[in-house]
Amino acid sequence: MPSGRPSLVGLLGLFFLLLIIVWLGVNFVKDPQEFINVFFVGLTRGAVYALIALGYTLVYGILQLINFAHGDVFALSGLIASSVLLSVFGVTTDSGAGLVIVAIAVALIVAMVLASTLNVTIEFVGYRRLRHAPRLAALITAIGMSFIVQNIALAIYDVDYQSIPRLIPNSSVLTIGEVALQWNKLFVLALTIPVLLALTWMVRETRHGKAMRATSQDRDASAMMGIDVNRTISFTFALAGSLAGAAGLLFLLYFTTMRYDTGFELGLIAFTAAVLGGIGNLTGAVLGGILIGLIQEFNEGLAWATPGGDWTRSIVFGILIAILVFRPSGLLGEQTPEGE
Amino acid sequence: MRKKSLFLALLALLVGALALAAAGCGGDDDGNGNGGGEGDGGGGGVTALPSSLCSPLEYEGEGEPDLIIASDLPLQGSSRNQTIQMTEAMRQVLSDAGWKAGDLNVGYQSCDDATPQAGKWDSGKCSQNGKAYASNEDVMAVVGTFNSGCAQIIIPLLNEAPGGGVAMISPANTYVCLTTPGPACDETEPDKYYPSGTRNYIRMVAHDGYQGAALAQFMADRDIQSVFILNDKESYGLGVAENVRNAAESLGIEIAGFEAWDPKAAGYEGLMRQVGQSGADALFLGGLIDENGAQVIKDKVAVLGPNDGDVMLLAPDGFTAQATIDEAGQENAAGMFSSVAGVPPEELTGAGAEFISSFEETLGGEPIEPYSAYGAQSMQVALDAIAAAGDKDRAAIVEALLQTEVTDGILGSFGITEEGDPTSGPITIYVAGETFTTEEVITPEEDLVSAAMGG
Amino acid sequence: MMTEQQTPQQRKDEEQRLQEVIAQRTQRSAGLWRRETAVALIPLVLVIGYAIIYPFEAVYTTLREIPGIGDFFPTPGSAVIIIVFTMMAIGLNVVVGYAGLLDLGYVAFYAAGAYMAGWLASQHFEQVTFHFWSPGINPELPGIHINLWIVLLLAGIFTAVVGIVIGLPTLRLRGDYLAIVTLGFGEIVPQFVRNGDNFKGFDLTSGSFGITPIDPPGFGDGLGDGSGGLLPVNFQRSFDAEQLYYWAALGLLLFTVFCCWRLRDSRLGRAWIAIREDETAAAAMGIPLMRTKTWSYAIGAFFGGIAGAYYASFKSGAFPSDFYFNISIFLLCMVILGGMGSIWGVIIAGTILGWLNIEGLGVIGNYLNDWFFEPVTGSRIEVPKYQFGIYGIIIVTMMLFRPTGLIPERRRKLEMEEGVHDEPAMGERAVNR
Repeated sequence: MPSGRPSLVGLLGLFFLLLIIVWLGVNFVKDPQEFINVFFVGLTRGAVYALIALGYTLVYGILQLINFAHGDVFALSGLIASSVLLSVFGVTTDSGAGLVIVAIAVALIVAMVLASTLNVTIEFVGYRRLRHAPRLAALITAIGMSFIVQNIALAIYDVDYQSIPRLIPNSSVLTIGEVALQWNKLFVLALTIPVLLALTWMVRETRHGKAMRATSQDRDASAMMGIDVNRTISFTFALAGSLAGAAGLLFLLYFTTMRYDTGFELGLIAFTAAVLGGIGNLTGAVLGGILIGLIQEFNEGLAWATPGGDWTRSIVFGILIAILVFRPSGLLGEQTPEGE
Repeated sequence: MRKKSLFLALLALLVGALALAAAGCGGDDDGNGNGGGEGDGGGGGVTALPSSLCSPLEYEGEGEPDLIIASDLPLQGSSRNQTIQMTEAMRQVLSDAGWKAGDLNVGYQSCDDATPQAGKWDSGKCSQNGKAYASNEDVMAVVGTFNSGCAQIIIPLLNEAPGGGVAMISPANTYVCLTTPGPACDETEPDKYYPSGTRNYIRMVAHDGYQGAALAQFMADRDIQSVFILNDKESYGLGVAENVRNAAESLGIEIAGFEAWDPKAAGYEGLMRQVGQSGADALFLGGLIDENGAQVIKDKVAVLGPNDGDVMLLAPDGFTAQATIDEAGQENAAGMFSSVAGVPPEELTGAGAEFISSFEETLGGEPIEPYSAYGAQSMQVALDAIAAAGDKDRAAIVEALLQTEVTDGILGSFGITEEGDPTSGPITIYVAGETFTTEEVITPEEDLVSAAMGG
Repeated sequence: MMTEQQTPQQRKDEEQRLQEVIAQRTQRSAGLWRRETAVALIPLVLVIGYAIIYPFEAVYTTLREIPGIGDFFPTPGSAVIIIVFTMMAIGLNVVVGYAGLLDLGYVAFYAAGAYMAGWLASQHFEQVTFHFWSPGINPELPGIHINLWIVLLLAGIFTAVVGIVIGLPTLRLRGDYLAIVTLGFGEIVPQFVRNGDNFKGFDLTSGSFGITPIDPPGFGDGLGDGSGGLLPVNFQRSFDAEQLYYWAALGLLLFTVFCCWRLRDSRLGRAWIAIREDETAAAAMGIPLMRTKTWSYAIGAFFGGIAGAYYASFKSGAFPSDFYFNISIFLLCMVILGGMGSIWGVIIAGTILGWLNIEGLGVIGNYLNDWFFEPVTGSRIEVPKYQFGIYGIIIVTMMLFRPTGLIPERRRKLEMEEGVHDEPAMGERAVNR
């Protein structure tokens, strides 16, 4: 690597960072209350991304595999949750709070169980046989799996959007001037942080978590130390799947519309978030998710000098490319030899 | 390994021999005309379009068909209900006419320009169809397309088709620049669609200039001061959005913003906040319900309040379908206005009313989609043009087509301008409730229409 | 990493061993080539002959009328699309199959080629009027009208440059990261094209409306009349338009196949394969990694660009909605099914999948519905709708049970059979320990 590059890259990065700070600053000064409102919107959206990104990062952490199918598992479980809410419980906007809470609880369980079963099956059928094959073989298989899951959703739900009534009200919890935080945002935010903390604790402190970390560091050695590698990996996929299921329901409750291909786009964004935060790093996934959510909403919601919705996708994927090229380890990841 | 190669060689030899034999058998060109796999529809007189693109040749008159009229519509995906019904309407017109245009027997084939995976029209499919029509000497007229983007491909192919071009009648294309030059069009539009220099295309539906003008007129009538315009960045949505912008500007309505929504995004709350900040008292959605339109409507209501409140919600015919109310939920869609070019089916008179009542019988209770009458009228115009030309002659039919004058037709009485547009342009504004119901029929002034086109 | 624990002596031994292996293999492949040509020539000629006579109306209509299997023969128009996608797959095969670089954004090259045709052979740039050997087009029409045969070449070169520009910063990345970066480019390019109608007032791409119509190929008045109509002035104005497009496409395909075939055995091709098999060893042998990889990108892109430009001319339009991610996957599926690195495999897989895509799934779906679904379940299903689910199943099945593809590349098969200790597919040494 030429010695001149890091400083040039650093300089460029610094320049961009400065530009973004100036842009945010001007927008903040122009209309601070609106800025904070948009900030909340972005934060919430980012929290939803973060939940999906956690699944990517868990699997990547242990297998070094980008599990493309994760986004589609997320979408399928969200769609099934919509069926549970609508067809089984028949909830409407007028349903009583008791029914809604029971319905959501049941939908959550169904979605999580289903998604983790599906995820474990995918690992068992597809990735397990390829554990010693070149990494790209597994990646290509993951793409194939993604299309299969997507088409299962297509077969069940066709190309139409599935829509549920807004069950978590979007009335304001607290209002200061024009700044308002709504119940549905609070709900999403209040859910993401405990999930992250619980996951972190689990990976750090429990036996399963220790087994996961050991397996991710050296599969053969951990097998020699008596860790059941297959079980540990299956467990990770089950965990990631149940996260996908929970995220599917949360997405449905917050955005209220889903379709068979929702997961593909969300999966790419969540993956970008995971890479941005440092793939394999749980806190990084959440940080990355929230950053991406904020970037998207600031780009669409702020008034001064924004590129606008036309360019949102390009910006997100531009970030993905820039991060991979210049800092493959992400914001919180450790430096690895992989990007050399 | 050597054995395997030998086997392959033998196999190839066999295939080659087969092909050569086939070439020998099919030596004379006229015996085996029917290219379709299922040749039970008669069609001995003409070469049918291939079965991979179109339905088998249909002909229920006496003797054998002399020529083919093809329809070109997206028969898969979200517009399927609508387009299938249009083909039924065309069949009805054909059978009413006894499968005849003047003295000529007319066969019909329904061709599909959509792919199942996309669920909508596909440019590759459109061009394949266009080429098939152009190179089939028996295709004398094409009724279609549904989507303007597809028309952009097919018109020039048919225009340059051998024999003087193939006549084309669209029941549903609303993109302005297909026929009419305007400041919003490229300098080379619409001439670039007609490389041969003569026109071969007319449409039965008023172009988006009318829709834009009517929607702007509607807003002005309701004292809208400022409108925020969103579009889905597809050619249809962007085109309508631009027309509404131009017309609204000319009526003194302030344009608070002109932005795109990304159909693949999860939500649009930030975008709606921006709309709210702009102080607009109306929001226009230029696009299709299929492009995540339901989510846009939901977030609009969530951030900006109900549609009969501070911010009015308007949309073009891309939203005028029951799916809008079902997907967005009645509580969110209620009170939104959307437009359709033309008069609603229940308000047709004379031949139109007759057609609608007999078509209702054929459908047996299914609600009639707005564009079915347009499909029927297009087919009628095609038959009339062929009858007027009186001969299986592409050039003469094209010439007759541009002279079309409809009196007491299914859609009433109207003429066709030199450019191929219908001379009357009423626009119906619907309001959403449990279903879409007629709110108002507006016939915009010519000045406003040309303003909408960017003049 | 492993190499850090090796003593210099070990490393030297390893290098020497690799050198021997490569030398041995090169020799062997040269030998194979001669045997291959001798045996393969006969079926090759027959297949090409068959392909050439196929679009004669007498031939394909007769074939299409064979009871039972007649529907399996595509129309010449469909065959053009099949050929174009096969060409792209062969281009992708250079990147994925030869050099072992997974590219999930190949659609970007298709887009670049298509828009090159849109810029250089249509009325898009109405500011200028420039005609060069245009195929019988009114010389007063505004816009740039260069004959498509030249445009194809220019499109190939332009796309190759795009490939280099994309490749330079990204090719030093590890395999799966590279795949993701290419995926990112595949997503950005369509949006760039969609938004490209107003760069400070300059209309580069016509945005969502796309560029239509694009000039058809042709030989122009001079050559057309000079050859007594043997070389058509303009493909589109002929009743045989579909046949002409077909033969031209076939010619381009043969050109692509020939180039890729010769490239594989060239010095560059051997370098690609060395990189694919073991990057570290290849670098140790003095192969310049970056330059070799960039060449594979450029050459893969070159053919993608030609195919894209030809397809745009065939479709007579370039729309941003044509370039979606699924096309990249579709092409990748062709390469995987055929066998990464195997030209013949990719051609066969490309033909099969291209046919399935255009006509086949519909035909098979009809058979299934008639003979199975309708009698058994009472309802029909739209088989083509599940196209990509079917491709997903193909990809997974191939990867699990036959990762070398239908017709494995001979060299790779030898590796598998004789157990040379290389990383088999796509050469990325897992760095995960």
